Amino acid sequence: MEILLQLVVSGIALGMIYAVIAFGYQLTFATSGTLNFGQGEALMLGALVGLSLVGTIHGGPYISYWLMVPLVMIFGAIQGMFVERIGVRPAIRIKSEFGWIMSTIALAIIFKNVAENIWGKDVLPFPSPISSEPFTVAGANIQPMQVAVIIGAVAIMLAVEIFNRKSIYGKAVVATSNDRDAAGLMGINTGMVITFSYALSSATAAFAGALIAPLTLTSATMGASLGLKAFAVAIIGGLTSGVGAIVGGIILGIAETATGFYLSTGYKEVPGLVLLLLVLAVKPSGLFGKAAIKKV
Amino acid sequence: MNFKLKALVAGVAVGLSMSAMAADPIKIGVSGPFTGGSAPMGVSMRDGVRLAVAEINAKGGVMGRQLQMVERDDEAKPERGVQIAQELINKEHVVATVGYINTGVALASQRFYQQAKIPVMNNVATGSIVTKQFASQPENYVFRNSASDTIQSTMIAEEAIRRGFKKPAILADSTNYGQLGREDLEKVLATKNVKPVSVEKYNIGDVDMTAQLLRAKQAGADVVLTYGIGPELAQIANGMQKLGWKVPIVGSWTLAMANFIDNAGANGNGTRMPQTFIQNPDTPKRKAFIDAYVKAYNPPNGRMPSAVSAAQGYDSIYLLAAAIQQANSTEGPKIAAALEDLKTPIEGVVTTYNKPYSKTDHEAINFENTKFGEVQNGRVVNVK
Repeated sequence: MEILLQLVVSGIALGMIYAVIAFGYQLTFATSGTLNFGQGEALMLGALVGLSLVGTIHGGPYISYWLMVPLVMIFGAIQGMFVERIGVRPAIRIKSEFGWIMSTIALAIIFKNVAENIWGKDVLPFPSPISSEPFTVAGANIQPMQVAVIIGAVAIMLAVEIFNRKSIYGKAVVATSNDRDAAGLMGINTGMVITFSYALSSATAAFAGALIAPLTLTSATMGASLGLKAFAVAIIGGLTSGVGAIVGGIILGIAETATGFYLSTGYKEVPGLVLLLLVLAVKPSGLFGKAAIKKV
Repeated sequence: MNFKLKALVAGVAVGLSMSAMAADPIKIGVSGPFTGGSAPMGVSMRDGVRLAVAEINAKGGVMGRQLQMVERDDEAKPERGVQIAQELINKEHVVATVGYINTGVALASQRFYQQAKIPVMNNVATGSIVTKQFASQPENYVFRNSASDTIQSTMIAEEAIRRGFKKPAILADSTNYGQLGREDLEKVLATKNVKPVSVEKYNIGDVDMTAQLLRAKQAGADVVLTYGIGPELAQIANGMQKLGWKVPIVGSWTLAMANFIDNAGANGNGTRMPQTFIQNPDTPKRKAFIDAYVKAYNPPNGRMPSAVSAAQGYDSIYLLAAAIQQANSTEGPKIAAALEDLKTPIEGVVTTYNKPYSKTDHEAINFENTKFGEVQNGRVVNVK
C-alpha cells in the first residue's frame, strides 16, 4: 500500500509537469488551430534563464528564486511572441495548412542550438529554493518541491482559465477560439489575440521550466522528451480541454511510474504510448475533447 | 604571367616540399567525442594528449621530428567514428591513432586500422572486448591504456562484498556501455555466489528514477551498483534522497565525472568507483601534470572535469612516442612490435609502465594500478 501511494505521488508530480506543457499546446490550438512544437524548448529556455538569474553560472545569484519566476514568465512571453511572428503568422496569412509545423520545429532546433552555445551542453544543477529533505505522509516520501510543482501547475492553469472567463481580454480569446472569422467581424483584433495566446503559452512553459528545474536538472536538451510526452498528454486528454490536460498528465505520470515498478523498468514508456494509440483509435479527439467538425 | 615569375613560383613550391620532407611531422590521429554527453571525457582526453604532445615537441620531438595531432570529433557516434577512421588513414596518413571514449565507436572504427596495419591506442573506452576484437588474427593492432570493464566490474563486486554487503541491486543504463558492464558485474557476482536482488535499467535522459529505486528498495538491497554516465547517475543519487532511502553507491569509474559530482551535490558523498588517476599531486610527475593542466585549461574551481581521461590521454602519447622511438620507424607493424616489447620503463602519470604490453596482452592497466576513489564534498579523493 505504501509503495502504491509512493508511486501515485511520484506519478502525479511527474504528470503535473506534463500537464502544464500540454496546457500550453492547448492555448495556441484554441485560438489559431496551430501548435508550437517548440513548447519543450520554451520550457528549457525558461529553466536556463532562471538558472542564470539565481545560479552562479553567469556571476549570480542576482535575485531570489521567487522574484525570478515572474521575470522568467516575461521572458517566456516575449519568446512566444517571437515564435508567433516569425514562424506562425506567415503560415496563417497564406492559409498554409502545414507551414507552421516545420517552422515551429525549426525554431525549436534553433533555440536548442543557441542554448547549447550560451549555457553549454552539460547538465547543470539548479539550486532548490526550499529544503529538499523529503517528509513522510502515510509511508510515502514527498519532497516539498514536488508539492510546489503540483500547486504551481494547478495555480497557473486556474489563473489562465479565470482570466479567459472573467476578463474582457480573455473573452476576446474565447471568442477567437470559437470562431475566428466572426470574432474578426465583431471588431476583435484576432491577429493580436493569436500573438497573445502564443505569449501566454510560452510563459506557462517557461514557468513550468523554472518550477521543475530544481527537481530534474537543467540542460539544453531537457525540453525535447518533455515536450514530446506533453504532446501525447494533450492528445490523450484532448486538445480543447483544460481538465483533459490535467487528467491526461496524471494518467501518463502514474502509468510510467507504476509500469516501471510492477512490470519492468525497461518498459516504462510503453503503457503511456499504448494509451495514446488506444485513444487515437477509439476517441480521436481525446478523452475530454470535443470532436471538431471541419467545414470545407 | 612571364616565365620568371613562373620559375620563381615553381622554385618556391619545390623548395617548400623539400623542406617539408626533411622535417616531416609525425601525424597522430585523435578521435573522441568533443561535443555531447560524453564530451567531458573526450575533451579532457584531448587536453591530456595536447599537453603530452607539446612537452615532447618542446624536447625536440621523436626521431628528430615533431608530433602533429589530427583531432576529429566522433560525436560518440559509431558511423562518425568510421568516417573519421577512413579519413585519418587514407587522407591524413596518420602513423597511429589515440582516443575512443565510447566502446561502440571503438568497435566500429578500429577494424580499418587493423586492415591498414596502423596501431590504435584506446585511452578511455573500457568495454572488455575492445582489445579482443582481432585477438585471433596473427597481428593485433589494438592496444589500450584504460581499465577494462573486466577489471572494473571485479573491483566493484569485491568492494561491495568486502564491506559486507550481501544484497546488491544493479542499476545500469540501456546503452551498450551500461548493458555490457551489467553483464560483467553479474558474471563476477555469480562467481562469488552473490545474486543481485534486483537488476534495473533506465534510459539516457531519464529524469525520474522512482520506479527503479523503489524496486531495489523493496527487494531489500543494501548497496547500489551502477553502470552509466554522469547525469543519470546524479538522478539516481538524487532520487534516493527523494525516497528517503540511503544505501551506499559503488559503480564504474564514470561516478568521478564532474557532471555526476556537481549534479548530485551532497547526495554523491561517499560514492566509490575504480580510478586509474585521481587529481592528487602525490608524486612530482603527477604534480607537474596537474599544475600544467590547470594552468593551460583553467577548469572551474581548478578541478579537472575528467582527471582519468586526461591522465590516460597524456600517458597514451608517451607510450606511443616511446614505441616509435624504439622502432625508429613510423611503419605500423614496427610500432606495434615495439609496443609489444617496450625495452625501457615509461614514467606516466597513472603509473610507471614496465613492459606494459606483450604479444598476447594488449592491456596496460591491471589491478595493481587501479585504485578506489571516493566522492567527498565535490572532489574525488583516495580511499584510505
